[in-house]
Amino acid sequence: MADVKEDKRQQLSGEVVQVVSFRLGSEEYGVDISQVQEIIRMVEITHVPRAPRFMEGVINLRGQLIPIIDLRTRFGMSRIDATKSTRIIVTEIGSKRVGIVVDSVSEVLNIPIENVEDAPEMIAGVGTEYIQGVGKMDERLIIMLDLTMVISGDEKRELDQLGEQPVAS
Amino acid sequence: MSDELFNREEFISYFRDEAEELLQQIDADLLRLEEFVSSGETDPEIVNSLFRALHTVKGSAGMLGFTDVQNLAHKLENLCDLLRKERMPLSESAVDLLFTGRDLLTELVEAAIGTHEAPGGVDEYIRKLDQFTSIYEETAHVIEGRMGEQHSFDEAAAAEEEQVGNVDVEAFEAEVARLLAEAESRKAPAPPPVPAFEEAPPQPVAAVPAEPVRPAPQPPAPAAADKAPAKNGEQKRSSIHQTIRVDIERLDALLNLVGELVINRTRISDIANTLERLMGTKGTNGQVMANSGVIAPLAKDLADSAGLLARTTNEIQESIMKVRMVPIGQVFDRFPRLVRDVAKARGKEVQLVISGAETDLDKTIVDEVGEPLMHLLRNNVDHGIEAPDEREKMGKPRAGTISLNAYHEGNQIIIEVSDDGAGINLEKVRARALKQGLISADDRLSDREIVELIFTPGFSTAEVVSDVSGRGVGMDVVKRNITRLKGVFDVDTVPGQGTRFTIKLPLTLAIIQALLVRVAEELYAIPLDSVIESQRVEMSDVRTVHGNEVITLRGQVVPLVRIAEFFQLDGKRDPDKVMIVIVGLQGRQVGLVVDSFEGEQEIVIKPLSDVVGRIAGISGATILGNGSISLIIDVHSLVSEAYSGGKVARAEFSGV
Repeated sequence: MADVKEDKRQQLSGEVVQVVSFRLGSEEYGVDISQVQEIIRMVEITHVPRAPRFMEGVINLRGQLIPIIDLRTRFGMSRIDATKSTRIIVTEIGSKRVGIVVDSVSEVLNIPIENVEDAPEMIAGVGTEYIQGVGKMDERLIIMLDLTMVISGDEKRELDQLGEQPVAS
Repeated sequence: MSDELFNREEFISYFRDEAEELLQQIDADLLRLEEFVSSGETDPEIVNSLFRALHTVKGSAGMLGFTDVQNLAHKLENLCDLLRKERMPLSESAVDLLFTGRDLLTELVEAAIGTHEAPGGVDEYIRKLDQFTSIYEETAHVIEGRMGEQHSFDEAAAAEEEQVGNVDVEAFEAEVARLLAEAESRKAPAPPPVPAFEEAPPQPVAAVPAEPVRPAPQPPAPAAADKAPAKNGEQKRSSIHQTIRVDIERLDALLNLVGELVINRTRISDIANTLERLMGTKGTNGQVMANSGVIAPLAKDLADSAGLLARTTNEIQESIMKVRMVPIGQVFDRFPRLVRDVAKARGKEVQLVISGAETDLDKTIVDEVGEPLMHLLRNNVDHGIEAPDEREKMGKPRAGTISLNAYHEGNQIIIEVSDDGAGINLEKVRARALKQGLISADDRLSDREIVELIFTPGFSTAEVVSDVSGRGVGMDVVKRNITRLKGVFDVDTVPGQGTRFTIKLPLTLAIIQALLVRVAEELYAIPLDSVIESQRVEMSDVRTVHGNEVITLRGQVVPLVRIAEFFQLDGKRDPDKVMIVIVGLQGRQVGLVVDSFEGEQEIVIKPLSDVVGRIAGISGATILGNGSISLIIDVHSLVSEAYSGGKVARAEFSGV
């Protein structure tokens, strides 16, 4: 287990990690800035029936369809209605473009790599598989997300979630 | 480093395209060459073309380090070289060997670019090929030696000694004897190489004869051969077409941008309309009225400009759609070979006549239509065309004719596959269907309905299952594929005279006419080609059969599918009435229950599967004029899922 975490932390290269930080409930998270394409205000999301539950729907971003993942649902948190500060972070991982809905976007942080620690076993119910590490900035703790995992997810979890949906009758 | 890697990838992609084209050409050349077999003569132009194509494949493969491909191409090139120099008579076995080699080469190319497993039997084939060519290389020398032409006997003997280890001596001797006899039986002795080249077209290749015939059976002199084919290839290409290869994804990106333009155009038109309407109304607000003298002409300008923008945008959209069009000949090109192989395997003589290969249609459809056509042609050769003797008895020419014809008709492309074979034996079909339990003895079927039976899954008239067709996969698959492409499939058959299959396909799948409906606050698009009608039905007319809703439409019981429930949406049921879109699919009708109809519209289909995976009942999405997204209902999967797993099946069965 320790090895896996060590590996995850190793993925963060360089002396300083640049992250876009955002809020989800009371926690502060960060994603590697190189994976962020743009940040947009909340727009109308078209619901896609029968899609995996964490898949909120699709949006039209300048003529392109972008699937939207609601991070709250993904992490099993309670859902809230969109507010004025709700944002969609459009990320590009590999060739996939995916938008993630967050409560609010704070700022771009430069976290020295030595301030990044392994993720503790459990943070607010978020499985460690999504977490690359925890960055410390003064008194703040930034949970650094592994977006690849968030987007692809381990298949088991995805299947479990699909299984929760009532089967068409 | 990364640049180099990138370049290599680009090279490989180029190589793949190029090789595909060349292999296709090699196939076509071989087919033409085969026609000369009976005369034993060789058409130098075809052989040269073959040689050049193989040489280019060899060169490109070598550049990328695909040594297997390079090696085999080289060996095949050697064989062609022998033909070219007329050291080897054109024979059926040579052509067969080339065909097999071409297929192996295709597999090797696919293995090299990683799309296919490496084929087996390459080494064995090369051994066979080597043996075959060395016989002729040796023989040629021996003959030349005997004739005392340009070669001393010693030289030939030395070459013979060098090679003899690899050669099956008995086969070699037999071949020598045969060749000598052949040479004698011809009017002139075996044509020596030099005069042959004088007959060849005045191509740079002709410079080669200046050097004496090579003493040892070694690969062709690289320098001379290298330049010649390249130059010829270029000349050939530029004389046909000025084309450019474009990744289809780039076209799609362009189409996306145009879609965006269309959306903005609609918005501007809306604004212009609103403005004009405001100008027209005598508002109570004095200020607007006061300014209207200035604004009115501006509003008119805006409306004019919006109109112009609309026209231009439409034209751009149409132009891009046209760019996606490719000639259907791309698919037809591989059929002569297919028909040849199948005919050969089944001991039939078949001539394939292709027309309308230049008819163009959307690239995506071209890619999809190949398989159903292939099945059809196989079936035609296997079941349609009679054996040569049988045909002769009936007063038909021994060789059957299959015509493949394509042409445009309005917004559709028509593809006809017709043969002059036996036609569909209705009695046999009926008997077979009865035996397989597809129909019952009391069923009264029209001729047309009997013909339709061949499209039933599992149906086959073939008494013996052959490796070609007759396994009961085929016609139903053909029909299903055509239906999936939104095409229509038709059969005409006259016993004893032949069968004609007609396929009608839309020119493009990217833009369709759709009926917009609202379900649980969201807009959905239903492709109009599957919509039969839409109507409002009072709840009192909705019956239930075992708890499942149905309506009676002109005497036919039509099951209902509530889309909101199918998709598990929070829809509210209207207690008084239902809005129903009747869709038809392969003779089955289903009523889709929606909340309201929102009119017809032309929509640009965007695939959804790339982003959210495949979802049953949804075939894609489109972006509407106001920028909002509407999901496109996949009538096919929705209906079949409803029929197979859902309530409809129960309703239907219990309703009987």
